[in-house]
Amino acid sequence: MTIARAITRLLNVETPSPSLKHAPTTIAFAAAVVIVVAVPGVDFTSTIAAFAGIWAIALSTGLAAFFSWMPALRHLAILVPCIDLLALGAFRAGTGGTSSLFASLILLPVVWIAAERGRKFIIVAGVGVSIALMMPYILGFNQIETTSDWLRGVISPVIFAIAAAIINEMARQSRLQVARVRALAEERDIMLKGAVDYTERLRENEERLRLADQLTRSVLDAVTEQSVIGSDVTGLIDVWNPGAQRMLGLAPNEAQGLRYVHEFHLASELDERSRELNYPPGETVLNMGFSALVESARLGTPEVRQWTYVRADGTTLSVEVAVTRRSDERGATLGYIFVATDVTQALEVSRLKDEFVGLISHELRTPLSSILGYLELMRDDDENPLSEEQVLYLGVAERNAHRLLRLVGDLLFTAQVGSSSFQLLTSPIDVGPIVRASLESARPVAAAAGVRISADILSDSLVIDGDAVRLGQAVDNLLSNAIKFTPRDGSVAIIVAESHGKAEIVVTDTGMGIPEDELDQLFARFFRASTATRAAVPGVGLGLTITKAIIVAHGGELDVASMVGVGTSFIVRLPLQGQAPLTA
Amino acid sequence: MAGAVTSIRVVIADDDPDIRALVAIAVRKAGFELVAETIDGTSAWESIQATQPDLVVLDVSMPGMTGLEVTTLIRAEQSLAGLRVALLSAGVDDTSRQTGMDVGADVYLTKPFSPRDLALRLGELMS
Repeated sequence: MTIARAITRLLNVETPSPSLKHAPTTIAFAAAVVIVVAVPGVDFTSTIAAFAGIWAIALSTGLAAFFSWMPALRHLAILVPCIDLLALGAFRAGTGGTSSLFASLILLPVVWIAAERGRKFIIVAGVGVSIALMMPYILGFNQIETTSDWLRGVISPVIFAIAAAIINEMARQSRLQVARVRALAEERDIMLKGAVDYTERLRENEERLRLADQLTRSVLDAVTEQSVIGSDVTGLIDVWNPGAQRMLGLAPNEAQGLRYVHEFHLASELDERSRELNYPPGETVLNMGFSALVESARLGTPEVRQWTYVRADGTTLSVEVAVTRRSDERGATLGYIFVATDVTQALEVSRLKDEFVGLISHELRTPLSSILGYLELMRDDDENPLSEEQVLYLGVAERNAHRLLRLVGDLLFTAQVGSSSFQLLTSPIDVGPIVRASLESARPVAAAAGVRISADILSDSLVIDGDAVRLGQAVDNLLSNAIKFTPRDGSVAIIVAESHGKAEIVVTDTGMGIPEDELDQLFARFFRASTATRAAVPGVGLGLTITKAIIVAHGGELDVASMVGVGTSFIVRLPLQGQAPLTA
Repeated sequence: MAGAVTSIRVVIADDDPDIRALVAIAVRKAGFELVAETIDGTSAWESIQATQPDLVVLDVSMPGMTGLEVTTLIRAEQSLAGLRVALLSAGVDDTSRQTGMDVGADVYLTKPFSPRDLALRLGELMS
């Protein structure tokens, strides 16, 4: 802070108090009094007038102090210079009148008055000066004898008024400038404050971003069992976590910005996926391999799919890759994220499990052959006929052996589906006769269970490309389930129709139904609905798994709608001959 | 039926003695002459070469040589051109069936089987 600025602040020059404005008059007046008292030849010509002036100056000094102390009354402070003019007029009259040395002191209150806001103060100053200068004549110390005496009361005030006008204008200009400077200063202060705030926010955001980046990096670094790879829209890698390094054998600086995601995929799988997606040969697709990887994610659906990764050393590993799209706040695609899990071990376990189930099922068929074969021999032995009771016992043994055989068959089939060794022997087949055959097979069971069973074949010829045996097995399963889960006196209806260009088979029962929260697990292996378990309906939970596998293998769909206590509908939809599969 | 087909000579091979006995019963029910019962593929091949039968019933899964391998040898042997081969297997899937037929079996039968039906199928095969 400079000294000038310190003084300015101390005196408050920008908005001076009445005392400060009055100070020059007080000082000059005091000096005049000292001169009159001390200098020989300069005397009071009228003590009363001079002392009236001194008294008036004392009064105005007091008022100035009062108005300084009472800001609310400061608008009345203009009285102070007006009193000063009268006081100086009286002092002049008392120190020589028109010949007094102190006429020029009048200028000081004039400056104050003239500097006030408004043109009217020019007139006030002129009138005040005129009164002050005419004071010796007014008080009778001098006589107006000549024209110049009259003119003294007019010309001098006019000159003072002109000076007052100039001061008034300068003060106005000065105030305007001060106001402008103040406005600029305020504006500068606001901008400065804004800049400071912005800087602070920027710093906070930087800190937040730094922490977020640190968090992201630490999360990515902590993921060592999954590879997390990020790419731009062309597939160029820009994120490569330790899991990716471990899984694919390259350090981040060997992959980021240098390699493309699809370079780590088996080319044949990418080609196959491209064919599935019906990509045109190289015209509209920039990079078919990469597009095949991200097609679903690009269209807004994150995708989880099994792929084969090719490591840097050329070896391969089976992975399950989740692909998601990266986008900015406006939704524009920035790139993709590929999170891969090594499923080699899981696949091997699954394969071994299916192999084990297949082996066990296979081995179970041989003893079952003996059981059923020898039971038949006993029954057919004409030389040693069985008693009725023995025949009854034999029937129970045979029925249960067949039940075991069906279970073995289901296990074997499930294992085939799991190991993808399940194949259809397809030919053009009509759905109606297959359903009729299943219905006829189911009639005895339905009759024994006291369940009414009916079929409506609404379309005569619904030809599909299918495996008649497997499709029959699927319909058998649905009918068998429906009968099994329907209480006595209930009904099972099967409807076959063409719907929206597809063959549709609907099996509806009035059975116990399936709770809604269990519907999505219904087709899982070995799942049994709680209603079935509670009602002790026999079964192991493979029938619907097999049925769904058969329908899906036919390119069809299997849906279910159910209400507990009301019944269940299974809806099979199959593509007609020559149509594309309904399922991807 | 037995009197009409007594000249048909049969070799059977299965490592499971119970199944082997069951097949033997079915063969006899069909009225055929059982010339050898063997317990593995190798002895089955030796018996076939030694006895020159009209029909051989082979289990697919056997120690030594499988039924498929024995069938392959039979079809490669000119002197056994007239020999009928029935394969018996616990493999019920279409792939197993197709494999059996591809190596030259005349009929592919699956376990479990009814002795009555087996006798009928063998009878049809040799009629």
